Amino acid sequence: MSRFKKALLNVALLLGVAVGGGLASAWYMIEAGSRLSARTFGSWVTWPSAGRPEADPYTRAHVTRNAELPLSSTAELTFRAKTDNRGAWLTSGCDYAVVMEEFDPAWWDLAVYDLQGRLVANPADRHAFNSSTAMRDLDGRTVVTLARDARPGNWLPSGRGNRVVLVLTVLDTNMANAVHNGGSLKSMPDIVRTGCR
Amino acid sequence: MPVSTLSLDALRQRLPQFLRQVPGQLQKLPSRVPRWLPQPGTKSAMGWISWRLLAAAVLLGGIVHISATFIAALSTTGQAYRQLAERLPANSMVVLPLQTSSRQILPFLPPDMLYAMCRYDLSSGSVAVSASVLDAGWALSLHTPDGRNLYVLPGQPRRRTDVSFVIVPSGPDAPPPPRRDGAADTQIASPTIEGVVILRAPIRGLAWMAETEAALQTAACTPVKQ
Repeated sequence: MSRFKKALLNVALLLGVAVGGGLASAWYMIEAGSRLSARTFGSWVTWPSAGRPEADPYTRAHVTRNAELPLSSTAELTFRAKTDNRGAWLTSGCDYAVVMEEFDPAWWDLAVYDLQGRLVANPADRHAFNSSTAMRDLDGRTVVTLARDARPGNWLPSGRGNRVVLVLTVLDTNMANAVHNGGSLKSMPDIVRTGCR
Repeated sequence: MPVSTLSLDALRQRLPQFLRQVPGQLQKLPSRVPRWLPQPGTKSAMGWISWRLLAAAVLLGGIVHISATFIAALSTTGQAYRQLAERLPANSMVVLPLQTSSRQILPFLPPDMLYAMCRYDLSSGSVAVSASVLDAGWALSLHTPDGRNLYVLPGQPRRRTDVSFVIVPSGPDAPPPPRRDGAADTQIASPTIEGVVILRAPIRGLAWMAETEAALQTAACTPVKQ
């Protein structure tokens, strides 16, 4: 290999690793989060310092990029799930059961959006359930069904788009403290795929 | 296995012999060099890589990573606030209509809630806010244009909390806070001249919509007379 070719390949490698790697890793840390800025509980991901004045740069970029105005997480936590409990993307082509068992915070709200945070259009104009509007089963569980077509019980329409995101907002000081102090959350809702078209 | 003591002199005599044996012994060890890297003594297809340059690339990648993170945060700062500023008059509490897919206030904002919002502007003085937080799920919060949450009052289950405070500008150039006769309001110093106050109320069902909306209508946000 000629010296010129070697130099050219080295410059290409330098630019590839520096620009490509730098941008890709930054995008990943801002979008998906890492242990530095986000915490994961099964399918659910939360950014504990969102909205706080001392938030790290990744959290700040994550919040501003999504045009959010989050509440300080000492009081409230927002969890996002893009996958089911097996790790597959949530899509409107499949039906899911969001099972809340022994999940009893002071207040919760579960909403569905597309990946850009837009509400999913549907004829029922239903986009969310909260602890006041969701029906409980006789055994105390709450099951919200995310599906394209109407289902009995707490039906959350997933529309006819493609991938969707579930956002669970929880108002509970104990849970917020556990997340901040690195503790675990035992009873986060399970997202179980029940069928696909 | 018999253990014999080795004197320091004997060790000194044997040391050159040990050192001569080291390369041979090392070659017997399994190679830990990754397969994709040039193996010792072989001419690899990766021989064109300058390892110093690769180290420089990793370093430069780190700089690109940090710069990209800060640029991403700075370039999108205030996006949510700008969207709200378009529809909110300054220093006035507005109850916004229920969100639908065609009428959304902000991305990822919980849709089964009603919101009363006030865009405050402290350029001509402080702003007084009063509101009631009635139940769990209710929250009164203050946000700067860059998304920082300055203050939050979350609702408690079945317990009404009435709150009033004055938002005052902070910083060396800020005018002195107003004196209000008989007022014992809490003062909240805003690091920015503009920001937004959000009072949110969860919708417990259609039957409670009017009641919730009426409760939100009682919230006020008014400039303080100097």
